[in-house]
Amino acid sequence: MALSTHTTPSGFLLPSIHSAPPFFTEQPNQSTHAHLTEKWMRLILAYARHKRLFVLRVEDAEVPGGEWDEILRNERINRRILPPYLSSLMAIMVAKNLAVYEPSKQTRAVLLYWRLPEEWADVLHSWATATGQLNTILTFYEISDPPIQSPLSGIPIPLLRRAITILSRSNRAQIIGVADGEGVRFFVG
Amino acid sequence: MNMHRGVGLAAFDKEQLSKRFAELSSELSKTQVDNLQSQLTQFRTALSHFAATHRDSIRSDPAFRHAFQQMCSSIGVDPLAGPRKGGWWAEMLGMGDWQHELGVQIVDVCVSTRERNGGVIEMGELVRMVSKLRGVESGVITEEDVIRSIKTLQPLGAGYEVLDVGGGKKMVRSVVKELDADQAVILAEAQVEGGWIVEAILENRRGWTGERARAALENMLLRDGLCWLDSQDEHYGQAYWIPSAMRWDE
Repeated sequence: MALSTHTTPSGFLLPSIHSAPPFFTEQPNQSTHAHLTEKWMRLILAYARHKRLFVLRVEDAEVPGGEWDEILRNERINRRILPPYLSSLMAIMVAKNLAVYEPSKQTRAVLLYWRLPEEWADVLHSWATATGQLNTILTFYEISDPPIQSPLSGIPIPLLRRAITILSRSNRAQIIGVADGEGVRFFVG
Repeated sequence: MNMHRGVGLAAFDKEQLSKRFAELSSELSKTQVDNLQSQLTQFRTALSHFAATHRDSIRSDPAFRHAFQQMCSSIGVDPLAGPRKGGWWAEMLGMGDWQHELGVQIVDVCVSTRERNGGVIEMGELVRMVSKLRGVESGVITEEDVIRSIKTLQPLGAGYEVLDVGGGKKMVRSVVKELDADQAVILAEAQVEGGWIVEAILENRRGWTGERARAALENMLLRDGLCWLDSQDEHYGQAYWIPSAMRWDE
């Protein structure tokens, strides 16, 4: 009756603690709570990185069939993380700067920092340089949804904007208004 | 001589020997005493020679090590005893380092799992994890080795203790807070169910009152951090899980 790791259909290796029923309950003992919450946060970020998921919502624990089911539920042991616990986890992640509420002034959805905005800034600039797109004007849409899969594919606009803002502080990018939205020009770094 | 209590081989030191035989000589004849003295000296030499020859086997082969231990205790020699630090092991076999290293690894495993299990770990899991740390297969380090090593940790005063919870299972406690009798019972029952425990089990199998069961479990949960809560249990709504009684495949 050993608790073992398990590989999900999408190829993610779940740790053995995910097979333990109490993992899905918010613990009343403070140190146990801290210990298990730490594991949940790592798990959430690792899964987000694996599937390139940027947003986590309380709704993902309320309604099945979403992108997070492999993590938030364990059918084999008939357990799931309940919305209040997920909400609590999200708050802790925000407090630790592992996520931000996006949009701001609400607490139902977070943008996950499985890569910090500073790291995204470097990835963005490297990509612009490598694809020979310095000094040209690009729309935000062209960056987040390019014809060919890139390291920036799927990046939410708010996160993209944060990364560009970071680049602009070191004169590696400049935000430009374009006809139907926002654009950016990258400069040599 | 008391044959039930192990006597360190160091007790056969020359000075000690003379003293002992001075005491005995009034009862035995001189010839008998001489015989005894020479036989014991021969024996000591033989045992030392044996130990030196088979040092590697004793270190690496648990079956051989066990047999050697058995032989020592059957003739009333406790390799751990003796006036010298580490006892005879350290002297004869250079096992002091081996013993010490094992002790350090046991502490390592206990400390690193403490957050998860509240400072109580099942013996099998401890042996498995220490073996992993050493990079050896299962069976090379035995439960016996670990128990012996824990004995040497006791002077640390850190509360390392082996607990027998019945059903052939042992736990190692590494926190100062002692397990009370009720907690030991809960651990034993949880072992049977792979870590799962509810009040009903304690009431039905042990005849406890509801209050006693509830209080004991709540203390383990809230006060001692020795178990986790599952609020989605299909039959009981709330159930408790004891990580040290759960089997983990890391």
